[in-house]
Amino acid sequence: MDDHATVISMLNHTWFGSDLAPETQERLAKLGVIQDFEADEVILHEGDEANEMGILISGQLALRTLVPERGPVTILSVEPGDIFGWSAVLSATQVQSTVVATEKSKALVIEGTKLRAALKEDHALAASLYPRVLIAVARRLRATRLQLLDLFAR
Amino acid sequence: MITTPAPSHAAAARQWFLARADLDALIAGLRDSGRRVIGPTIREDAIVYDEIQSAADLPAGWHDEQSAGRYRLERRTDEQVFGYTVGPTSWKRFTFPPNLPIASAHRTGSFGFEQPTPDAPPVAFVGVRACEIAALEIQDRVFLGGQFTDEDFRARRASAFIVAVQCTTSSGTCFCTSMGTGPEVHGGYDILMTEIDGGFVVHAGSPEGAAIVAKLPTRRPSHAEAGAAVDRVESVRTQMGEPLPMAGIDERLKLQLDHPRWAVVADRCVECGNCTMACPTCFCTSVVEKSDMEGKRSTTDRQWDSCFDVAFAKVAGGDFRSRPRDRYRQWLTHKFSTWFDQFGSSGCVGCGRCITWCPVAIDVREELGVIAPPIAPVIRPVAVEPVAASPGSYSIARVAAVRPETEDTSTLTLTDVDPAFLAGRPGQFVMIALPAFPAVPISISRFRANGIDLTIRAVGPTSTALTNLHPGAKVGLRGPLGTFWPVEEAYGRHAVVVAGGVGLSPLHGLVDALVANHDRFESVSLFYGSRTPEDQLFRDDLDTWSASKAIDVAITVDRAGPEWKGRVGVVTGLFDMISWDCTKVTAFVVGPERMMQASVQGLISKGVPADRICVSMERHMECGIGLCGHCQMAGRFVCKDGPVFRLNELGDLFNREGI
Repeated sequence: MDDHATVISMLNHTWFGSDLAPETQERLAKLGVIQDFEADEVILHEGDEANEMGILISGQLALRTLVPERGPVTILSVEPGDIFGWSAVLSATQVQSTVVATEKSKALVIEGTKLRAALKEDHALAASLYPRVLIAVARRLRATRLQLLDLFAR
Repeated sequence: MITTPAPSHAAAARQWFLARADLDALIAGLRDSGRRVIGPTIREDAIVYDEIQSAADLPAGWHDEQSAGRYRLERRTDEQVFGYTVGPTSWKRFTFPPNLPIASAHRTGSFGFEQPTPDAPPVAFVGVRACEIAALEIQDRVFLGGQFTDEDFRARRASAFIVAVQCTTSSGTCFCTSMGTGPEVHGGYDILMTEIDGGFVVHAGSPEGAAIVAKLPTRRPSHAEAGAAVDRVESVRTQMGEPLPMAGIDERLKLQLDHPRWAVVADRCVECGNCTMACPTCFCTSVVEKSDMEGKRSTTDRQWDSCFDVAFAKVAGGDFRSRPRDRYRQWLTHKFSTWFDQFGSSGCVGCGRCITWCPVAIDVREELGVIAPPIAPVIRPVAVEPVAASPGSYSIARVAAVRPETEDTSTLTLTDVDPAFLAGRPGQFVMIALPAFPAVPISISRFRANGIDLTIRAVGPTSTALTNLHPGAKVGLRGPLGTFWPVEEAYGRHAVVVAGGVGLSPLHGLVDALVANHDRFESVSLFYGSRTPEDQLFRDDLDTWSASKAIDVAITVDRAGPEWKGRVGVVTGLFDMISWDCTKVTAFVVGPERMMQASVQGLISKGVPADRICVSMERHMECGIGLCGHCQMAGRFVCKDGPVFRLNELGDLFNREGI
């Protein structure tokens, strides 16, 4: 079991976790577990059941999608402070992209079933967490729009 | 203002010589005129200002040895009366007393508040130095120069007769020459005295002063005596050495609010407040209420306070300056920076009291040098006159090397160029031509010792022909043309370069300049985004810059395969890495206009001022000199009014459709 104070201290260094109320940070620290990943380690597989959400503490991850005849294409890299596996906040869904550590990384990982149960029962947690997940998703949406514009195309 | 006495015939005519043995006549004359005389005298091993009865009370034959945190009196080898500099007290003690009743109140029978009438009997200050006159004048501006005035101060100042004394010695903590307040007295006195062998050269600066001098047993000074008086003061200037580089100190300090030295000096500071008490200009006070046991009568005393006091900025909900570093920063920045905003001058006169009387020997001169070092004078460059400055006219250059950058982009290194091209500025461009091909505008991507680089993407007939050239080929050049990156305006700020795709080309020379002068900037960063890793320009340079401590490089690509271990995402996503105060950022942005728009939005949302964001615009250019009309963007020709613009120059033209 991770020392909660250490986990909270790590959360405080992320945009996702730094402004959360102390009791919400405490709740997340109890729900999750700090995990270390080696470079090239696959954390989540595209298409698997979405049952883990993580907050990246350090390192860098790549979100990859398999494109037929092109192989895995990196869609986005995840920097410290950002989240991965956000689909886990929704029930009965699939991981949207494969998450791979591109370097040695550390993350607070929360099991999806526990997270969903906690969000259902703890409205304060839900009120804090959902907007942050939405911010993270909106940022990705904005970035994806710009990527779709293919600004540097010839 | 009265100018410095000089040994001219006219000045000599207004001067008198008073023998040292007759100095008591001056003190007696002042006392006979009904004035209480305050002057230097020795108390507890220091020369302080206090009431004196006669010249015998003055510190004749004593000198003060001063350095940071140290003050000692030593015997002089002569009997000079004013052969010391300044001690722990200053004249504000008498014009702005440490404790002053300012009001009383009662609720016995009636209810009311009373304000005492200023009580300022005539007084004479003897031995006032140049820096101290400057300090009195600073307090004049503080207390009398604004909408609200301090009438007690006004009365005390008006009643004070000033006998100024030129400094004929300096201590190790004096720096009046750096603050422009000394050593010469330049006015603000009734009588001015300069001590020389055997006596004083005396000058009256007011009718009241002349009336006192007229009663003294004086004679005209000899030419040698008048000259000696000037030489003595001049020798003090020499003793103090080179003045500190104080030009722009107010702005320099404002750029350093987050400097790590604040914490370092605060670790040494014991927050005794000595510096503020000894300072002749510090004016902060607090009020103390004193009441009888029943609370029916009370008096309000104003007392000197110090911004180093832990409670000075405290309010009910907390303390605005809770850390020692905050309090030290408040004091130093107020003295040397924000005082200018409030009162039009520095709050420091260079008397050195805060240095001498600091128990841990903190020296403001040293702290200023570390926290806000001088910035070398900025010489704003002007664009060199272009060569071949008419359409159809070209200067011939030779291709020395061709280096492929990406699948369709190459860099040509040109030599044998006209020297004007070597004197071009990052951001400028050339018109380059080949026989049978129309000229095209190409940014200068690098300035070399004997040539320039042009990075060219093969998108049309001319650019394709150019990228297919081999070493030895000749080309025609016109330029350098257009505006350039205002590098010097970013000195002291965070310089942020945002490049998209081939937009790194017109920024390469800028990055070279930023890296070469990195110590002039708060930080230097490059955010570079490209479509894929294969589309990156200048990969060797990116590696070199990434390994350099002079610049932080963050690279991202829009898409990549699994072999790419770097960041994937749009360049604006890199702005999340910015942790600085963005009001201190100067940004240089080049890329496709949509990318520049997204970048500019991202920078502005983080607080970067619009006039600190520079962009380089692209338009169809045929002549490059504002004659063909192709590149017009509303009222501007991008070729000669640009291509580099500040965002505020473009206003709503930036990224407007159809302009």
